[in-house]
Amino acid sequence: MNEWMKKTPLEWQDYIYKEVRVTASEKKEYKGWVLTTDPVSASIVLVNFLEDGSMSVTGVMGHAVQTVETVSDGDRRVREKLMHLFMSGDCQAYSP
Amino acid sequence: EAPETQESPRLGESLECQEQRARAVQRERYLRSLLAMGGRQVSFTLHEGVRVTACFGAADLDVANFYVSQLQTPIGVQAEALLRCSDIIAYTFKP
Repeated sequence: MNEWMKKTPLEWQDYIYKEVRVTASEKKEYKGWVLTTDPVSASIVLVNFLEDGSMSVTGVMGHAVQTVETVSDGDRRVREKLMHLFMSGDCQAYSP
Repeated sequence: EAPETQESPRLGESLECQEQRARAVQRERYLRSLLAMGGRQVSFTLHEGVRVTACFGAADLDVANFYVSQLQTPIGVQAEALLRCSDIIAYTFKP
């Protein structure tokens, strides 16, 4: 189990909405804004905003994550976009 | 003002509760991202530099396998397939 998988949800939470560079197995590198980390598999979901106004979403599997380095803290606009991403549709929120 | 993922700790809330709340929010977001991936063309980077694309169907709850269709591999198209998540390094799609 790698270091990333050993983190707790509160530690993963610190990366949300930040821009990070993830190095993964086989020297693969991914950069993007963190949407979430799956607490079950430790997979990290990154969002990139493309020049044509569209988005691309990349998931890096938890077992393949080697390092996660913060590149920038993000801004309000990115945060606003990420906060609502995939949240449309019925059931906006579940309460425990 | 504070987004639901990064709420300041509620007064008197134990660390355990904060952690559980963070876990729930992060898991829900992950599941929603998988939901958004359903029916879309996804590009998977596997080990040994192998790249395949497929239409995403579903994942099991411990994220051990991805069920996909129209899996395009270097040796042909597989109508239905299970990708073992341990074989995957990363995946990308456009929502």
